Amino acid sequence: MRALNKKLVELFPKDIYNSIFNGSNELYLEVNSREILKICTYVDTELGCPLVSMFANDERQLHHKFAVYYVFADKNRSGLLTLKTMVSEEEMTIQSICNEIPAAALYEREIKDLFGIIPKGHPALKELIFHGNWPEGKYPLRKDFDTRKKVHMINKKKEFVEVKGEGVYEIPVGPVHAGIIEPGHFRFSVAGEPILHLEAQLHYVHKGIEKMCEGESIEKCLYISERISGDESFTNSLAYCQAVEKIVGVNVPTRAKYIRVVFAELERLTSHLGDLGGICLDVAYGFGAFQFRAMRAWAYLIADELCGMRFLRSVNRLGGVRKDFIVGKEKSLIEQLNKIRTELKDTAGILKAHSLFIDRVENTGVLSAGIAADLNAVGPPGRASGRHYDVRKSYPYEAYTDLDFDISEHNNGDVNCRVNVKIEECFESIDLIINAIEAMPEGKVREKTDSVEPHRFAFGITEAPRGENIHWVMTGEDNTVFRYKIRTPSFCNWPALCHAVKGNIVPDFPLINKSFNLSYAGNDL
Amino acid sequence: MQILKMVRKIIQYPRLTQNYPDKSRLRVDRFVGKPVIDISKCTRCGECASRCPSRAIVLNRESNDIGINYDECIYCMLCEEVCQTRAAKMTNDFEFAEKNRNRLRKSPLPEDSGVSEVSHEELCNKLERNIKKTLGRSLYIREVDSGSCNGCDYEINGMNNPLNDIERFGIHFVASPRHADMLLVTGTAVRNMQNALLKTFNATPDPKVVVAVGACACSGGIFRDCYAANSGIDSLVPVDLYIPGCPPRPQAIMYGILKVLDRIKG
Repeated sequence: MRALNKKLVELFPKDIYNSIFNGSNELYLEVNSREILKICTYVDTELGCPLVSMFANDERQLHHKFAVYYVFADKNRSGLLTLKTMVSEEEMTIQSICNEIPAAALYEREIKDLFGIIPKGHPALKELIFHGNWPEGKYPLRKDFDTRKKVHMINKKKEFVEVKGEGVYEIPVGPVHAGIIEPGHFRFSVAGEPILHLEAQLHYVHKGIEKMCEGESIEKCLYISERISGDESFTNSLAYCQAVEKIVGVNVPTRAKYIRVVFAELERLTSHLGDLGGICLDVAYGFGAFQFRAMRAWAYLIADELCGMRFLRSVNRLGGVRKDFIVGKEKSLIEQLNKIRTELKDTAGILKAHSLFIDRVENTGVLSAGIAADLNAVGPPGRASGRHYDVRKSYPYEAYTDLDFDISEHNNGDVNCRVNVKIEECFESIDLIINAIEAMPEGKVREKTDSVEPHRFAFGITEAPRGENIHWVMTGEDNTVFRYKIRTPSFCNWPALCHAVKGNIVPDFPLINKSFNLSYAGNDL
Repeated sequence: MQILKMVRKIIQYPRLTQNYPDKSRLRVDRFVGKPVIDISKCTRCGECASRCPSRAIVLNRESNDIGINYDECIYCMLCEEVCQTRAAKMTNDFEFAEKNRNRLRKSPLPEDSGVSEVSHEELCNKLERNIKKTLGRSLYIREVDSGSCNGCDYEINGMNNPLNDIERFGIHFVASPRHADMLLVTGTAVRNMQNALLKTFNATPDPKVVVAVGACACSGGIFRDCYAANSGIDSLVPVDLYIPGCPPRPQAIMYGILKVLDRIKG
């Protein structure tokens, strides 16, 4: 990271005010807010580091200004480069970078809604978080906003992108859907059968998690992080734990690192089996759906046996895990995993040879490599579109450095590729769990964590079942959280989904949607 | 050949269904159920009450009494972990859905909070009779997520898997509220979903039953102080049954549904 810092300081000597190294892989550069576009574009295009997160922070208590952070992933060096600019209260604007870096578009809208900082030059500044029911002039993530106070509802008209032309019509769907899924509103502009445009209005389940964490104890926020997105409970709490453990400077015992791998992979296995079942159901292939559902139920039985919690909650604790969940259960675990592997192998064989199934999934919902790169698509959808990136390899955490595994590689970007990525990852997860159980050393599973110093910050980065998951924690006084920024993989992949459905017929939308399997709760927060 | 392989798979296993409410095929000993506090062992030190993430533990210094509001509890096991005298303990009991929210609580809600005991019980009984009369033994359910973390939704989905197979009771999930007899509502009725929840409720024909699934729907759970969240769905729609849990396991939801239909006495 020092080489990167030197290079950037040489290139922009006047515009970089300050460099801070945080731990081994985090570099923070305070930069001139007027030149932010130039520097961001250079980092994104010339250095090839994609924008992975962007957030604001009300730091008026510290230095009377708001701060905006632009986070870039330097995957080759396993580092995170953060550019920080200051915004004064009189100004309250930033220069929009989304014309050069499309991935920034949603972050900038989010910052506008939650902080009232206007991104100048943004082409489509539609309200993102609130659907015309939020009064103007109130910004929930500013420190002077009281989270316990309920804000009155207003009624503004909602606007959607209009596609004009002969025979073009709109299909509004949701927020309450036909299946047992989360709420979101989809507006299709359609000519005949093919979809011309899809606008997804999300944030229906926006609760205000980030605001709620502010001022709460470090311990309580762990439980909140487990409830960001139900089926990603473990990986979200792991990212939070990593960030806090980095700030405290505690070394997690080796056995706990292996136990964390076991749970992280079990969560991935469960999630992928559920997706595959859903995909089969959406192409009306009942046999496949029930096979995968049964396998998923078996995976939940493993979770029950290990910790009694089907969603792997209350497993992580700051400094390790709650107790030794694995000891004495190794044999039964490996037996059950082998049973799932055999069943998965047979089912995948039947599935891939089933022409009706292949007919529906092949060349359906293609996410092109170019769009995937522009929008920073992560996880299985990214890997199915030629982005061979996995946090477990690029930013190895816990015991992944010591374990051998492969990342699946596919390039067509259609539903079929995403199915293949998920099937391959299921096998990989089973192997990883078994290897981790076998390689696990004896020892304690939890290190005591002391109190944290105020106004320290760090990232936690994990590979969730849905992809790269980045959390940023800044501590406050008395062991509290000052700011908790959550960026789940779903936030990156939703815009990618809207592009992938274009040109497909409306009845294929549920199938494409299921193959992405995005979390609404993780996106809306 | 393909079809032969499929048939072989289908007949490979004997029946997978676990047959709940019969518990002989369930490993109940592995379940994490509700926590209980043994009053005789408890020293009233207040450690659990002050650290409880969802502030569900009620410690009354005046009457020297302690207890748990199960509608607010998120079943995180922290009370068991921090208790010095081992008074707080997790049990395996997962079947404790109630028709009245106050029966889940240590500190009862005030009368005017929309939870009035008599009318709800009566309403519920009447609806049950109506449903039985009009629908026989089948029930159609529409699920509404009003702002959950999606944990409860996955567990509701889990009721359809081969192990639980809720359809053996004649209970089906339908695509539209207009076809439904029961609304299964998860989440805290967040700001952006309030309108949609009310519209769904109004679109469901009478007689209808509303069931709150999970801590968020029962009381707001850990999120009840968020600016966009709400303290439970009963501030918006009348609720006939509360299923606590974070999330409640599929069997716990089945227990609740069967209880509201009076197929389980309790």
